[in-house]
Amino acid sequence: MTPYFYKAPVLTLDNVSMEYGGETVLRDISAQVLDVCRPNMNQGQVVGFYGRSGLGKSVLCRIMAGLITPTSGTVKVGIEQEEVTPGAVGFVQQQYPLFNHRTLQDNLLVAAARKYEPEEAKRQTDAYLDRFQLSQHRKKYPAHLSGGQRQRAAIAQQLLCSDHLILLDEPFSGLDIAMIDEVKKIILEVTTMDELNTVVIVSHDIQTTTALADRLWLLGYERDATGQLLPGATISAAHQYNLAEMGLAWHENVEAEPEFNRFVEHLKDEIRQSA
Amino acid sequence: MKELFSPNAQPRRRTFALMAAGQAALLLVLWLWMPLRMFPSLGEVLRAFVDMVTTQGLIQELWVSMTTALQALAVATVLALLISYLTALPFFRPLAYAASKMRYLTLTGLTFFMALMVSSGHEVKLSVLIFATTVYLVTGMTSVILTTTQQEMDHARTLGLGEWRSFWEVVVLGKLDDMLEVVRQNFAIIWTMITLVETLYQSEGGIGLLLYKQNRYLHLDGVMAIQLVILAAGAAQDYLFSLLRRVFFPYSSLTTAR
Repeated sequence: MTPYFYKAPVLTLDNVSMEYGGETVLRDISAQVLDVCRPNMNQGQVVGFYGRSGLGKSVLCRIMAGLITPTSGTVKVGIEQEEVTPGAVGFVQQQYPLFNHRTLQDNLLVAAARKYEPEEAKRQTDAYLDRFQLSQHRKKYPAHLSGGQRQRAAIAQQLLCSDHLILLDEPFSGLDIAMIDEVKKIILEVTTMDELNTVVIVSHDIQTTTALADRLWLLGYERDATGQLLPGATISAAHQYNLAEMGLAWHENVEAEPEFNRFVEHLKDEIRQSA
Repeated sequence: MKELFSPNAQPRRRTFALMAAGQAALLLVLWLWMPLRMFPSLGEVLRAFVDMVTTQGLIQELWVSMTTALQALAVATVLALLISYLTALPFFRPLAYAASKMRYLTLTGLTFFMALMVSSGHEVKLSVLIFATTVYLVTGMTSVILTTTQQEMDHARTLGLGEWRSFWEVVVLGKLDDMLEVVRQNFAIIWTMITLVETLYQSEGGIGLLLYKQNRYLHLDGVMAIQLVILAAGAAQDYLFSLLRRVFFPYSSLTTAR
């Protein structure tokens, strides 16, 4: 097992609930992402939130990104654990939105201008274009980019202006095997850029999310004593997994390991039971 | 040939140009040899056109109307953009709503009120045109603003742009090409109104007054010639606006289905 230890929290969800028009969508969600450190490794981490379609994952994403305020509970981010505000967390939405009226380079420059002076912003933008293999497309408008290029651009844009924490909403949705591998590479690339970089994946792709993450939270419904489903998705104590502790994190080809597949099957059973 | 009658087909540019030229030629032939004499003949219209250019100053009158129309459009565009963008603030939303509904007001009634408020005939003409164009532009522009999605605004906010800067980036800059399209579409309305307003205030002339005179004396050839001149001016304007859109907003046609 890879040696590791935890440091300060970088994301804390404390009893987050959300209601819309009297209907509970999310209920008492608590989870904490701690900065994980591995000796002699300068790499960030990937954590995952799994939830079936229609469970309120996008609502949870928007809450974690500070775009909406939960009905109750708090979200705190960063080493200082300050309450989340829009822009504090990089958030890549499902459709990878970019400013369609700006070229790729200008899209990144707008983001970089938030943290850097113009000269440095230009330098950082060039570095990110290079790192994400987008340099040759810098003058193109988003409509000219392929799905993969667009996704890389959206991630680069968020990284340029956020502080280490980046949230990906359904990054594998609708992608073929080759594209999923590409996205996995990008995610790992992001974690190697800075030891503090933390990628939070919110997805319904259990296999891929589990393979990448070192912590996993399963969103689902709970039942009361009579067996009735309680309103609002939540994360029960039994559905919080530390994959590092289980020896399933940071393996190069973990998806080929029998232990990993047994665990995924267990997760699927858990998901079926909460349906 | 078959593709010209297939839904959503994309004929070659040359085929399409030939087809359009053929249709125009057919129209011309119909006009020249149509048995029912509903319209004056091409020769009569051409003679009326030459006569109006040489003796009645058609080109000068067109210029007078054109400059008035452009003046009105410029002011109306600025006003309409201002009113539409102010809808970002809830306080101003009723103003945009009311402005949009005012397009139902009649021009004749408006002219009366404008005549009470301003002094010269030119000012009355201009203010009526500005008012009427503004209310149409506000309607189109607010519709464009309403196409803004949650995702677009969220994207700007996650970049830490703040509310005003997000609005500037997503709504103002992001939809400027659509606003130009709204202006292009509504420019046609000015031509409809200007001919009417010029007949009410005849002191400055204009193509509307010329049209009125030709109508009054039942000079159908003259009416037809003026209508064709207005049509040509409108087509040229449309082309100019499309050109401006292509030059200043090259991205705007990238996602359009062809």
